[in-house]
Amino acid sequence: MEEHGNKEENPLKVNRRHFFSQLSVGIGSLALGSLLIPDLFKGDVKQLASQPLGIPHFAPKAKRIIYLFQAGGPSQLESFDYKPTLQKRMGEDLPDSVRGGQRLTGMTSGQDSFPLMPSAAKFHQYGESGKWISDYFPHIAKIADEITVIRSMQTEAINHDPAITFFQTGSQISGRPSMGSWLSYGLGNENKNLPSFVVLTSRGKGNSQGLYSKLWSSGFLDSKHQGVLLRSGKDPVLYLNDPEGISRSDKRHLLDHVSSLNKLHHVETGDDEIESRIAQYEMAYRMQMSVPNVMDISKEPESIIKMYGEDCQVPGTYAANALQARRLAENGVRFIQLYHQGWDQHGNLPNEMAGQAKDVDRASAALVLDLKQRGMLEDTLVVWGGEFGRTNFCQGHFNPESYGRDHHPRAFSIWMAGGGIKPGLTYGKTDEFGYNVIENPVHINDFHATMMHVMGLDHEQLVYKHQGRRFRLTDVAGNVVKDLLI
Amino acid sequence: MAHSSKNKWVDYVVLGLSVFLIFCLLFESYIVLPSLVSWMGRWHPLVLHFPIVLLLMALFLGLTGKKVPYQLLTVAVLSALLTAISGFFLGKEVAVKGDLLFRHQWLGAGVALLAALWYALTQVQLSNNIYTKGLQVVLVGLVVATGHYGGMVTHGEGFLALPTKKRPIKIPENPIIYTDVVTRILENKCVSCHNPNKRKGELVMTSLAALLKGGESGNTLVPGLPEESELIRRLHLPMQDEEHMPPEGKTPLTQDEIGILERWISLGASDTLRLAEIKRTDPLVGYVEKMMQPDLTEKWIKLPMVQDSTLQNLASNYITIHRISSNSKGLSVSVYLPPEYDPKAITDLQRISKNIIELDLSGIPLGNKELDFVALCDNLEWLEVDGTPITDAEFKKLKGLTQLKMLKAYSTSISDESISVLKELKELKTLYVWDTQLSVSGLAQLKESLPNLEINVGSNAELKAEVAKNGNNL
Repeated sequence: MEEHGNKEENPLKVNRRHFFSQLSVGIGSLALGSLLIPDLFKGDVKQLASQPLGIPHFAPKAKRIIYLFQAGGPSQLESFDYKPTLQKRMGEDLPDSVRGGQRLTGMTSGQDSFPLMPSAAKFHQYGESGKWISDYFPHIAKIADEITVIRSMQTEAINHDPAITFFQTGSQISGRPSMGSWLSYGLGNENKNLPSFVVLTSRGKGNSQGLYSKLWSSGFLDSKHQGVLLRSGKDPVLYLNDPEGISRSDKRHLLDHVSSLNKLHHVETGDDEIESRIAQYEMAYRMQMSVPNVMDISKEPESIIKMYGEDCQVPGTYAANALQARRLAENGVRFIQLYHQGWDQHGNLPNEMAGQAKDVDRASAALVLDLKQRGMLEDTLVVWGGEFGRTNFCQGHFNPESYGRDHHPRAFSIWMAGGGIKPGLTYGKTDEFGYNVIENPVHINDFHATMMHVMGLDHEQLVYKHQGRRFRLTDVAGNVVKDLLI
Repeated sequence: MAHSSKNKWVDYVVLGLSVFLIFCLLFESYIVLPSLVSWMGRWHPLVLHFPIVLLLMALFLGLTGKKVPYQLLTVAVLSALLTAISGFFLGKEVAVKGDLLFRHQWLGAGVALLAALWYALTQVQLSNNIYTKGLQVVLVGLVVATGHYGGMVTHGEGFLALPTKKRPIKIPENPIIYTDVVTRILENKCVSCHNPNKRKGELVMTSLAALLKGGESGNTLVPGLPEESELIRRLHLPMQDEEHMPPEGKTPLTQDEIGILERWISLGASDTLRLAEIKRTDPLVGYVEKMMQPDLTEKWIKLPMVQDSTLQNLASNYITIHRISSNSKGLSVSVYLPPEYDPKAITDLQRISKNIIELDLSGIPLGNKELDFVALCDNLEWLEVDGTPITDAEFKKLKGLTQLKMLKAYSTSISDESISVLKELKELKTLYVWDTQLSVSGLAQLKESLPNLEINVGSNAELKAEVAKNGNNL
């Protein structure tokens, strides 16, 4: 609500245009004019003013999102997009007509041939929905009817950093707010003792790429919407705990004093970030108690530990984070984002991918089932997927035991469960080579629009004015994929 | 008199217009209007307010024995004649006149001609005659009646009806899609303009036959092909589009309502199709079932008022309170565990106990005091007490929560003793009770007395299978 507030309260909160528009009309007529029509000089603000922040635009299906981000670009061809043709035409060169001029990364552009490579993993059909799922994911296969697989995801980026930035912020270039920040901005906190956007990271043994805190940055939005990284180990949030010798009541006194000074400063400058800072100090103070409470899994029953796998007791593993994600969801965190690194299989794919899948398979399925048995799957959207897919031809030497695959933006697979998404669907289709989408493409912008829709937000209405224009998570694109909605 | 010669041509104008009006009415079926004249008809809604006000003013003066100023009467009579004539032009745009319009037309003509007669009588100094008085009384009645019928033509027949407390008729179980659902949508959003009386765009939407016949643009409804149906095309146009229906200022259809019409047309626009005959996976089923649920805000209308300030006072960093939908009196309350827990935080909510519809107390170390409070919330529909130390002793306090639809009591110590309490919760639809002392046979017993209850015993496959087996054998 911060930027729709009363601009008159501080004389410094007048921007250049506002100033000139006032000047040009003359002070007298302005005074009269603004008395009669308060918004006279503010342009078309009707639409914005009618959308107060903090409450959904329409009845939401989901109250929170758990995003299981598989960083590095897991191969769709060894997971959810079964392509028997690749087996039949194994080793043949990818026809140019299929590739259609797709640019390649520097890692394969020098190759003189592009031999088609089938999946090293076997595929079977599961559930009533008859989903094709590879043998790398035996547990996810068991929840085939709970999840909806989208095989027609598309992106424009071809390298990790722009691709993951695109997924996170709706733009390949850094600097925009992350999707979790947008939701925090649009919907606010459910629990005032925890941030509304929390990030947990883990790392597999596969080839991995960097993760930077810019991915969960709030960009130009208020910094209170920034994602908070919860680390494994003794200090989940760095510098949150009091140093030795400082008691909680000392801390309280300190905070009270600092905040009265900050308030003075705010009156002078009118800078909204000061108010955020005061709020954040207070939140941190409460988090000193609430975070350890959420992170403590010692009271989880044996059956739950068994569900997620023994690994979930080892801090910093994907399984531990998945369990943590459920606990955070129960405690009212709006957007919980896990990242599991290590999905960048340029070589030795069969081995590495089997390992990566083993890291996440059991816990991902357990999370969905655990949410379900708590009656939370209905209002929690779970998303599993990476930033792009992988090529259907092999990178480097043709070797069915240790082949690699390069980055592929044109088609890849993700799955979603719960939160207003129809269960059990298989949506979208790629050609027989698994290279191009031939049915129901879903662009990242469309995905974002859909995600916001289930949270009760209209992606075209949730805007923030910055540097003279209004920004959205989907910027100027995106359509809600209605076929996916319940 | 100098002034009478000036009046002469006013007399002629009144006479001329009256004759013209009578001519129009008599030869209505032979008249074809040029488009410019037809356009003049569009001024009818603008001018019609003048004669109503002016005539009533003049009539008031006349009936109370005051002198009616000449200018007032002249303007009133002229405006009445012009209104009647323009109204006649406007009426010509409708091919077949309904009852309302028919009556409005003749009453309106009556007003204009009687007013002209009154003017004539005044001119021959007969204004205080008993007949003139009678004429004035009749004229008052005619003005009111004409205005009333005109209003009904424009705003729909029920427009002036007293605000009845009519609850929308409940959609019956297994409704006929056309009769019980589609008709209701059309009646709420379309029929006020597309009825046999008004026929905007030559379209009548009061029966399936009329819909199939269609309107001016044709192809209003093409069974099986929503994308070819004009009806659906117009619903999907952007709001600003001239052709968007309903037009600006009227309540648009909701996405669900559009979905219903669209799917109903895809499925052949049948007037016998019932809900149960449609495939469960068809989106139509979802839309209709949603519509069949009672309106939430409506349901909570009887709850006591609760001020926003009260909510602000009761809420804290550890207690979130919000209205379930923007203005509803029904509240949703979530409690998070504070560092130093005191039951008072919860029992203080007693002031709003009747308003609480959803209450989340998961993971709070609940005891007797808190459960006594919960027992007071007798409008509760959703309760979460999972992960709390409650036992059968505390649980039995929930007996009176007869509105409860959803209960999460997993990871608690309740046992078969609580089955009798659960049996009392007749409205209960979903129950989560894994990780408790409840036995499979106890749950089977519960299922027997509440067959519609969905019991969730967790994701433990074997236990689930056992419960399912016992449940089915009942």
